[in-house]
Amino acid sequence: MTREARRFEDTIPQLADTPVPDDLKAWIIDRMEMYPDKKSAIIPCLMAAQKTHGWLSPEAVDQVAAVMKLTPAQLVSVASFYDMFELEPSGNRTIYMCTNISCMLRGADAVMEELERQVGVKNGGVSEDGIFLRNFECLGACDIAPMASVDGHFVGPLTVEDAKTLVEDIRAGREVLAKKQLSRRPVAATLWQNGGRAEGYDVSEGGES
Amino acid sequence: MSYSDELLFDNIDEPNLKSIEVYEQRGGYDELKRVLRELPPETVLNELQASGLRGRGGAGFAMGTKAGFLPKGDMDKYLCCNADESEPGTFKDRELMQKNPHQLIEGMIIASFAAGINKAFIYIRGEYEDQADVLEAAAKEAYDKGYLGENILGSGFGVSLVVHRGAGAYICGEETALLDSLEGKRGNPRLKPPFPANAGLFQGPTLINNVETLSNVAHITKMGGAKYAEIGTEKSTGTKLVSISGCVQKPGNYEIELGTPSRELLFDLAGGPLPGREFKAWFPGGSSSPVLTPAEFDLPYDFDSIAAAGSMLGSGAIIMIDDSVSMVDVALRTAKFYKHESCGKCTPCREGTSWTVKMLQRVEDGLATPMDLDIIESVCDQIMGNCLCVLGDAMAMPVSSMVKKFRPEFEAHIEAARLKRTPLDEATLADELNLAEMATSA
Amino acid sequence: MTPETTHLVIDALPAGYSSKPAGEPDRAAIVFTIDGAEVTAPEGLMLVDAAKYGGVEIPVFCYEPKLGAPVGACRMCLVEIEGIPKLQTACSTPVRDGMSVVTKSPRVIEAQNSVVEFILANHPLDCPVCDKGGECPLQDISYGWGRGKSRFTEPKRHFEKPVALSPSIAIDRERCILCYRCVRFSQEVSEDYQLVLLERGADAHVGTFDGTEYIAPFSGNIIELCPVGALTSRAYRFQARPWDIEQGGSVCAMCPGQCNVTYTVRDEKVMRVLQRDNHAVDDGWLCDRGRFAYQAWESEARITQPLVRQGDKLLPARWDYALDVAASALKKAGARSAALAGGGTTNEEGWLLRRLLIEGLGSRNIDSRRGGKLSADVARTLTEPDVTLSIPDVEWADAILVLATELVDEMPILDLRVRKAVNHRGAKLAVATARPSSLDSKAQITARFAPKAVDAFAQALLRSISGEDLGDLPTRAGADGEEIAAIAELLKGAERPAILWGEKVLYYAGGAAPAMTVANIVDKLGVKNTAGAGHLQIPVQANGRGLREIGFLPNLGPALTEEGDGKSSDEIAAALGDQINALILMGVDPMVDYPNGAEWDDALAKAGTVISFSTWLDGTAERHADVIFPLEVGPEKEGTLTHPDGRLQRLRQTVERAGEVNAGWWAIAQLAERVGLDLGVKVVHQITAQIADGVPIYAGITPEEIGGTGVRWQERAAAGNRPAPSRTTFDLPEPQAAAQPNGSLRLGTFRSLWGGGDVEHAATLAPLVSRTRVELSPADGERLGVNTGDEVTLNTESGEVTAIVALRDSIPTGSAFLLDSRDDGVRRAVAGSPALVEVVK
Ligand SMILES: Cc1cc2nc3c(=O)[nH]c(=O)nc-3n(C[C@H](O)[C@H](O)[C@H](O)COP(=O)(O)O)c2cc1C
Ligand code: SF4
Ligand code: FES
Repeated sequence: MTREARRFEDTIPQLADTPVPDDLKAWIIDRMEMYPDKKSAIIPCLMAAQKTHGWLSPEAVDQVAAVMKLTPAQLVSVASFYDMFELEPSGNRTIYMCTNISCMLRGADAVMEELERQVGVKNGGVSEDGIFLRNFECLGACDIAPMASVDGHFVGPLTVEDAKTLVEDIRAGREVLAKKQLSRRPVAATLWQNGGRAEGYDVSEGGES
Repeated sequence: MSYSDELLFDNIDEPNLKSIEVYEQRGGYDELKRVLRELPPETVLNELQASGLRGRGGAGFAMGTKAGFLPKGDMDKYLCCNADESEPGTFKDRELMQKNPHQLIEGMIIASFAAGINKAFIYIRGEYEDQADVLEAAAKEAYDKGYLGENILGSGFGVSLVVHRGAGAYICGEETALLDSLEGKRGNPRLKPPFPANAGLFQGPTLINNVETLSNVAHITKMGGAKYAEIGTEKSTGTKLVSISGCVQKPGNYEIELGTPSRELLFDLAGGPLPGREFKAWFPGGSSSPVLTPAEFDLPYDFDSIAAAGSMLGSGAIIMIDDSVSMVDVALRTAKFYKHESCGKCTPCREGTSWTVKMLQRVEDGLATPMDLDIIESVCDQIMGNCLCVLGDAMAMPVSSMVKKFRPEFEAHIEAARLKRTPLDEATLADELNLAEMATSA
Repeated sequence: MTPETTHLVIDALPAGYSSKPAGEPDRAAIVFTIDGAEVTAPEGLMLVDAAKYGGVEIPVFCYEPKLGAPVGACRMCLVEIEGIPKLQTACSTPVRDGMSVVTKSPRVIEAQNSVVEFILANHPLDCPVCDKGGECPLQDISYGWGRGKSRFTEPKRHFEKPVALSPSIAIDRERCILCYRCVRFSQEVSEDYQLVLLERGADAHVGTFDGTEYIAPFSGNIIELCPVGALTSRAYRFQARPWDIEQGGSVCAMCPGQCNVTYTVRDEKVMRVLQRDNHAVDDGWLCDRGRFAYQAWESEARITQPLVRQGDKLLPARWDYALDVAASALKKAGARSAALAGGGTTNEEGWLLRRLLIEGLGSRNIDSRRGGKLSADVARTLTEPDVTLSIPDVEWADAILVLATELVDEMPILDLRVRKAVNHRGAKLAVATARPSSLDSKAQITARFAPKAVDAFAQALLRSISGEDLGDLPTRAGADGEEIAAIAELLKGAERPAILWGEKVLYYAGGAAPAMTVANIVDKLGVKNTAGAGHLQIPVQANGRGLREIGFLPNLGPALTEEGDGKSSDEIAAALGDQINALILMGVDPMVDYPNGAEWDDALAKAGTVISFSTWLDGTAERHADVIFPLEVGPEKEGTLTHPDGRLQRLRQTVERAGEVNAGWWAIAQLAERVGLDLGVKVVHQITAQIADGVPIYAGITPEEIGGTGVRWQERAAAGNRPAPSRTTFDLPEPQAAAQPNGSLRLGTFRSLWGGGDVEHAATLAPLVSRTRVELSPADGERLGVNTGDEVTLNTESGEVTAIVALRDSIPTGSAFLLDSRDDGVRRAVAGSPALVEVVK
């Protein structure tokens, strides 16, 4: 949009000159319907735009703003408050490595270092093949500490060696650390009665680094 | 109570319990049907009050009492299930949602019925993507079966449910910040009063409860409030999910009867310290609880006993620290977390947490003097009680407890670091510290 | 906090209004204890304010009641309240009867010291080079409530040093103490939602989307709101220090809003313009035009000496000579002279000019309006005190209809009051305009009508309120019958409905018909005896109401008495060069200010002598004036204005006049003397006294009575002197039907706040002046194959002009809206109010 057009009355981008992908637009409109006040849909809609664009580019923000009829400033103000929004170009695969207390107590820092080496970027960086790595606050899975979230799926407990496999699995397009996926872990009582082993899940060895 | 007669974890590892078929086979939604058929809302509310169930999200406020605060009348009322679960060390709600989502949804419907609520939300932290997917699928099943929506099972009562994902901010677990976040704003806590029961979500009367609290509801109405109150202690009724993590052999979630001696949890359930190590300190209720020492291992694990020892049961998250760990590291890591999560709205929390981190970093780097420890304690004192919400306190309490209880260790750390350094080192370190600071804050 | 002032300070009347608006609830008095003393205060005040009743000051940073509900963020105001274990924020705790509050206990002092220490931890100590130094709340509070020393030895937070937030505002993020005042203003008061907080925690900072400039009609208010030196005026930066400036209170005369201002003056120059809180007028806000246009007054382009045309050149002349030339032309023309007054012409200037024409020249050809003559009955009906509103009445109305006016452009400050009414007083808003309004998003009902079809729309609304069949009126109006019915319901259901309408509709839609319709609507609503209900007319000219009431009209005299039968402005245009041989233009440029400017251009070419009082050498002055007298600008002026709600206000001279500028009234008196009329005035107050004598509704008024905050004549006893209208409802003529586009588009025009010499010549505002633009609906854009930013040609029956396209989602399909400006091509294309336009790529 030209500078000329973005006068104060047009700080809300006009749909007329902000093309929005059809499915994103439809999703946003649906989502707004779900709340007594459409603004409640801001966070989910920004997340949908982020998924569409890979990050919350100014263009992505404009699109949400145009459909929701809100200013882009309002949206970035919200987005920048939350850790999961990326206002800088990001990758298409995401590793959040937890480095909070429980994970720290079980060696998260060393795993993080190894991940940095394996991915080839420092904390917060994106590798050339699009892997985004950052440390994260407690992800709510201290039972598998030290742990990481790979594209939203939790894995752990991680050893330093696991870091290498984890990145290899991502690059090979395989399920990441199949034996350490939290989704297959039974509750503690069951798990430990079986010595840390369960179908599809196994921490009986190398649970601690 | 041992783990053989669980409430919330009953059948928890049953394959596919998360599907409505399996849940129903296990008797799921029978209680909802009975309540809607047989009980007036007031009776349900009475049962909840009689149960003595205290909130499982941290503050431990009586759930039935809070539900009773909602005004009667025809206006839109809201239920917000707090599934933000971000307090370090806490991971119990995750297990409940992932493995038994219908237990939560059934509880929410009954709670809504009791309090005359017609719109319900689950505010789930954005990082719980798998769990949110599970909840969304479960909600859809419940809608399809007519357990959610208008005129549920022909009762005339209706409630809608939306699973709302956050996007990564610990503060959104604070109930009023949760409301702002759910309204599409930055997650800043609100001034109280007004309290959510009067003016909460969209300014309407709102009940906010934790996942675990709400997961208990159907069990309570089923067994009767009085019966439920027999479990646990007089003032801490029921079972509790305890998330045990850190330096233990068998980390995980355990369902215990409130009042069980802590030692049993730490040694019998969690298997005690790792081989060759000894426990040195523990957070009894998440990283915001003041740390306790092994001297307190025999405390009954319930709200009042832990409070009497100067700490709190909080969300029921126990983090164990053993003798291989430096308390300076723990304090710094704790402080950094709260600094990172401070919303920034109020001065003492925003400035106090970041100042504390800077000071602890100097302690860690050996650039501090024992006098700095006094300043740390004093800054923590200045934060406590003066903030808009209790996030500031959540850092100040554990950090000052660590400095107080482990002062010799802090001093020894400073001294050792000082001795190790040549004057030249000192200058470089100071420079590096400055540069690092400038880089992170620019 | 305000520095010592040495001269020209407005009398220290409390900012307030003489009578409480009807809608505002009463507050009971309660008694509470503060620091041991019993104090009586109005119930429900926040403790911070209640404490003042006991002479106790509680320090605050984030608290600013003008911004709405307190946020309790800075924690500076912590106090102890008996019975509550934790310290409480006094800014957010309402006082209650029997409350006991302590503000000086060791616990409270410790908390205050701590908060100051926390705030200063990251605040640079660069007071000596900070613009805020000397008038900085943070400085004052640090001295008064701080510990005096800091234990903070860590490196401070760093941000990029001061950067431009916009052409007018600089931001120094290191100084920001995160009080949120600025962002709350943007989000909750002006609701432009452009200035926001980014990031969180210690990284939180104030910013905009993607670093774009913060450009909004009211942005400058954040400079004054900022309690530290984080937000500063770029024009004022490093220009002056609080101890070498003087402050003078006056009124801004750039639009009908007439906001109260304080001029900061150094060496006889205005260094900045600040708000001067008058709840009854401006609520303590200013628009950016009022705040920054002062830069234009210093510009080279300003006329500061008389000019006389010689051949085709305008040459500087001595006053005597210029006055002689003008006077002899007037004398020669005698009864064939005419005068038009407009803009910020004061009551005093208007009064003398009127006398010059009537008594000195025997001419009744004077006008301050356009669009024909208003009958005495219509004019009086629209002025009747029991159906006209004060500004606070608007705030407390329970239903508001904004009819045919874009407030933010036409009376910006009122836009904020409407928002306040909706956001904080629970008013329900309806907006009925041709062009989408910036208030649409606040409205419960928005109705669109075809450009220039307001008459049909208003009549349809009247019928709907009367419960009559609407017939084909909605179609004629190009409007939706259901929307009209909804507005009617809203107004009928309200206890105190308020109708805000733009006088400009009288200029293009059926003469006085819309005004008569408004009168009928008000009558039909039956609110004559309801205080706080009625209507407010937004005049086109800043002092439109005053000029009317002193009788600067062709057919009406002081207080709207029937008097004379002169020519209206349109008639004057038609008679130029033929029956009219000399024309005085007082602060008005018909080529630019009147919608039929192009017709004026042609008419003026035939005129005899044109005498123009002007600030800028453009438009009529440049092309047609034979004698130009330099016009005073705001702070040079002395006199009175009448606010659209009837409040007389005082302009006070705060700087010496620039160059050879003389007072407008003085020049008129000189002209009068030269045509043989002694007006008997030596100082401006004598004219005010003449007005007080000659205008029955202003009878006895004095500058002292008007004072610093003004007085509404309706609230004075002299209001009883007004002649009553003989009727208050009117027979309405058939309204015209909206034009049928038939392939072309209906043409509407609008004016922007960002236009006119004051804006164009002010360095920081000039970039905001838009190029000629035309707004189209997306559907029409697609049909015509044009996009935002494209250049198109607009053809009307009167002319053609090129414009830049702006597609806007909310523009109704079938209409095009052209930004009406001083541009010649635009003036030509809109001459004669053409109904249709063809847009060609
Ligand atoms: C900083 C902060 C974070 C919190 N986080 C959570 C949380 O993640 N989950 C939760 O249930 N309660 C959390 N709480 C507690 C809530 O404010 C609130 O007390 C709780 O949701 C009420 O539910 P309950 O009564 O069922 O415990 C938090 C409180 C604070 C002050
Ligand atoms: S810039 Fe000024 S007004 Fe805005 S938050 Fe910072 S201190 Fe407050
Ligand atoms: S003035 Fe009360 S908290 Fe800021």
